[in-house]
Amino acid sequence: MDSRPTSNPEAPLDRHELPRAYIIRSERERLLEAMVRMSAAKGYEATTVADVVEYAGVSQATFDEMFASKEACFLEAYDAVFDVLVAHVTAAFEAAADEPWPEQIAAGLGALVELLAMEADIARMAMVEVTAAGNDARERYRTMLTRFTPFLEEGRTYSGQGEELPADTARFAIGGATSMIFDEVRAGRGPELKRLLPDLVFAVLMPYLGPEAAEDEMRRVTRAGG
Amino acid sequence: MGRQAATNVQAGAEGTGRIRAVEPLPHSPTLELVNSPKREKILEGMLEAVGAEGYDGASVRTVLDRTGLYRQAFYDNFADKDACYLAALEMGIGRLEGIVIRAAASEETWRGQLRAGLGALLDRLDAEPDFGRGVIVEVHAAGPEALAIRAEAMKRVADFIDLARREADEAESPPQIAPEGIVAGIHAIVHSRLSTGATDGFRQLLPEFMYFAVLPYFGADAASAEMQAARV
Repeated sequence: MDSRPTSNPEAPLDRHELPRAYIIRSERERLLEAMVRMSAAKGYEATTVADVVEYAGVSQATFDEMFASKEACFLEAYDAVFDVLVAHVTAAFEAAADEPWPEQIAAGLGALVELLAMEADIARMAMVEVTAAGNDARERYRTMLTRFTPFLEEGRTYSGQGEELPADTARFAIGGATSMIFDEVRAGRGPELKRLLPDLVFAVLMPYLGPEAAEDEMRRVTRAGG
Repeated sequence: MGRQAATNVQAGAEGTGRIRAVEPLPHSPTLELVNSPKREKILEGMLEAVGAEGYDGASVRTVLDRTGLYRQAFYDNFADKDACYLAALEMGIGRLEGIVIRAAASEETWRGQLRAGLGALLDRLDAEPDFGRGVIVEVHAAGPEALAIRAEAMKRVADFIDLARREADEAESPPQIAPEGIVAGIHAIVHSRLSTGATDGFRQLLPEFMYFAVLPYFGADAASAEMQAARV
């Protein structure tokens, strides 16, 4: 994998001697980051490969070596961004493992809005621009959202209703939450996403627990936030 | 090429833009948009083409192939594909709303209206999945104006759903966000099914949709009963 042949790995390297594999990886990462930044700032359609290459400080030839198209670059950047979101939510959900399931969900949603509010470009790219980036990207978006399903489906056990709940309960809950986030980010209110947390908590818990328990947790989150 | 054609049309449109006297279409909820049979045919062809081939894949050419009309007929009515799709989207949404409203009209209660209206909507998706894809899925590929039209339609549905408050016990009145969550959640399920290319099975979703919509206003027992009733 690493084609570094001769140099002594113990010796300090100056920039010109950086291993070739390292430079390649870092150019790739710069291109991916540039894609996130440019598509968030200009919109996916208006973003050109030339924009991405210029932002990354990488040559067009290098881009062509690494990616078949603008879309291919976008999809890879999208996967990377979503990995970050999922890791962040998973960590918060697991950190709250001793709490009842509704509080775990609130913790996961809290981590999600916190990250999206802080990283406006990631929010815009991951939640809005992806829907403008062609059928493959939209398909990827839908697949990625299902990565949150296992957290939600624990609600079947917690609620004691198991299979009596409709088959599409997780899809309903995720659909409600993502639509609310989409509207806020698209309207340029991404940085204030944390205000949305109580509503998101209600929308996600309601189909599993019913309105009263969902509203109890919503109130708890509102108190904790205020 | 498209740009050139569009310019020609705009010049030509001044001569043909007057409203022509046509047979009234008493059942159309979008009467003002559909003022000629050719225009209506193009709008339908546009939604079906976009539904079948995707927004990016569909072109003025594919719409003409589907409708059997000449280029001139298209450019007499629309500047380009984007303008045509926006008009087609308005028509498609209006038509779906008309279907729901007519089906709900004979019902007295909110639940009855919702059951009848949603059922009719799902029947239509089973009958015309490409039309449904053209309106519900591909709107996301058609730019900000199309998304704004979509957002308004979602708002109208949410406002209807929230009429449940009039019949629900005050004590059970859910937070303001409830109707938006219901519409978005149901929409996500329909959207997901349409985008995987499904051509039927929409009607079978009615019981769970009734469950999700009734639950926040009337509680779990009423929602379960409604789900059972809709399964019959």
